[in-house]
Amino acid sequence: MPARSRNRLSWLTDPSDRTLAMMLLAPLVALVMLIVVYPVLRLFQASLYENSLTSGLPPRFVGFENFALMMEDPVFWSTLGNTLLITLVTVPGALIMGLGLALMANLPFRRQWPVRLSLLIPWALPLAFAGLIFAWFFHSEYGVVNDVLRRFGMEPVIWFNSPRWAMAAICLTIIWKTSSFMALIILAGLQTIPRSLYEAADVDGAGKFRQFFEITLPLLRPSIVVALIFRTITALQTFDIPYTMTGGGPGTSTATLAMYIHQNTVSFLDLGYGSALAVVMFLLSMLVTLVYLRMIRSKG
Amino acid sequence: MKHLALTALLATSALTAPGMAQADADLRIYISSQHQPDVWREVLDKYQEDNPGTTVTIETGGNTSESQSQYLNTVMSAKDSNLDILILDVVRPAQFAAANWTHPIEDVDMEQYLPAYAEANSIDGEVVALPAFSDAMFLYYRKDLLEKHGVAVPTTWEELRAASKTVLAAEGNPDLQGLSFQGKAIEGAVCTFLLPYWSQGKNFVEDGKLTLDEPAALASMALWKSFAEDGTSKKNISEVATDDTRKEFQAGNALFAVNWSYAWAQSQSEESAVKGNIGVARLPAMEGGESATCLGGWEWAVSAFSEHPDESVALVKYLSSPEVAEYMAVHASLMPAFPEVFDDPEVLAAVPWFADARTVVETARPRPVTPRYAEVSEAIRTTLNAVLAGVTSPEDGVAEIKARLTRVLR
Repeated sequence: MPARSRNRLSWLTDPSDRTLAMMLLAPLVALVMLIVVYPVLRLFQASLYENSLTSGLPPRFVGFENFALMMEDPVFWSTLGNTLLITLVTVPGALIMGLGLALMANLPFRRQWPVRLSLLIPWALPLAFAGLIFAWFFHSEYGVVNDVLRRFGMEPVIWFNSPRWAMAAICLTIIWKTSSFMALIILAGLQTIPRSLYEAADVDGAGKFRQFFEITLPLLRPSIVVALIFRTITALQTFDIPYTMTGGGPGTSTATLAMYIHQNTVSFLDLGYGSALAVVMFLLSMLVTLVYLRMIRSKG
Repeated sequence: MKHLALTALLATSALTAPGMAQADADLRIYISSQHQPDVWREVLDKYQEDNPGTTVTIETGGNTSESQSQYLNTVMSAKDSNLDILILDVVRPAQFAAANWTHPIEDVDMEQYLPAYAEANSIDGEVVALPAFSDAMFLYYRKDLLEKHGVAVPTTWEELRAASKTVLAAEGNPDLQGLSFQGKAIEGAVCTFLLPYWSQGKNFVEDGKLTLDEPAALASMALWKSFAEDGTSKKNISEVATDDTRKEFQAGNALFAVNWSYAWAQSQSEESAVKGNIGVARLPAMEGGESATCLGGWEWAVSAFSEHPDESVALVKYLSSPEVAEYMAVHASLMPAFPEVFDDPEVLAAVPWFADARTVVETARPRPVTPRYAEVSEAIRTTLNAVLAGVTSPEDGVAEIKARLTRVLR
């Protein structure tokens, strides 16, 4: 190691590795602080005030009163329930479909690009478009789904008249949209598994099923966990698809927490309560992230 | 005809634009895309000609009252000076004024307008917006079908039900519905709920407090639900929005329709399947009650964050002048907010039924005027939608509305 000069600016002109690292990271950290940390801190602060733009009164500090109101708000609980339901249904759903699609896409096709393209399109389509398209698919009169049902001699369903069927339609749309993203991540993982492992298994006489459960799945675990993290967090924050498909209807039976936040802040202009709801969503997302991170760390 | 009207506009704008308009101002005006911005463009072009220092750009966006309201809420909350003039649904000025988003308009004689609009636009003694056009809901009907089967135009909802049954049975057309109305959870659904309620002579709000007459509210919900159940209306009426009603009526698939005045122009246009075969009447009443209709119309407001408030106020005054109202009535069938324009011969030539529309608009009822209107609207429209979808019973629906709105309107 060359001797370091001892003048006052040596940390700047001849930095150690650690100092250099900190200097290079500083702009990024500043950016993250500005666009992530600062708004979140402001959010926490805003949740402690009563601030309704339509009251004409200035914001008033009320401590945790917004949170107390939330606990008694039936719409909060029902939207939270809907959000958790959507998460519980669409995360495994998208995983299974994504896994299936990835396995199919991994088969030796002569031309790879049509397969990759069809995998990519649902992911590339904006969420709101997907919601609107599927809203038309499920329209009781002009929709494709009911048309198919009629052709098979079955009774058409008025999908958006029933909370259950509307929720089913929404979950189906979300699974269709997000399974392609899962598939892409899993496909990348699949392609890192060496063929030699399968060949060796064939030689040992292991069937396709055993190969799948004992070679493919264990080696796919890291990709699956990554895909699950992304999927779960976005599932908790579901907004676009229910918003464009049902607007939360019928009644509020398909409204999610994110939609309720949007309604309180953008429509009702109740910024204090909306911020409190957003804090709850933030904490929920953080919780889920921590759970997954622990899963990754503990299993190496 | 158009030439004469444009000349009148020229004269008006030259007179109403004071020397202040010589200042160079680029104004941006937000116009709802469902209210024919192309016709407003003609009016604005005339204004630009007479006020050389001012250029006006139109911005449009969204196609429903709620989506436009959400957009404007976002822009105004950010105190954005991008928009100078906004068009607001008649239910919004109270909210915008309370949030200090409007620039007050002075030196205006509000008596020249229909009283309902003088009220809707004056908040706490200040004029915060001026009427762009007035509106109310009407009963559209198929003149030809009613005449063919010897059925009179119904004056009560039960008569409408009977008329629908007769004609539908006789026509035997599976695509024809009896009555099309808005059951989707849009702003218009608030009117759907209030029409039969008001028809029973009940008030919804008094002195800012909720005065819900529960039996009347129940009767209203039950009425609409019964139409969906007995085949007068479609089973999926909870999916129908304002423009869906207009399209279905225009395509000849509805015998009766509850809709705003804008549907007339399109239903009488060349592309309409029912041109020349339609009529417009007052909405039916409940048994023993009076016909009631919902006040509509949109207003021009000046943004509090505009960088050119004086020029914007001048333009708004021009846009809500009798001459512009007449032009818009003739060319866009937007109803005027001035009583005398209804009797103008040119207007009546273009839209003959405006002669009867005046009394309807004069007796139209406004939805609750409150800064928290967004919450009121949400409670009513989602509950009505749930009742029509069969998810909530009318009794539970009324209880929900009462529970939610007692807190909001107090």
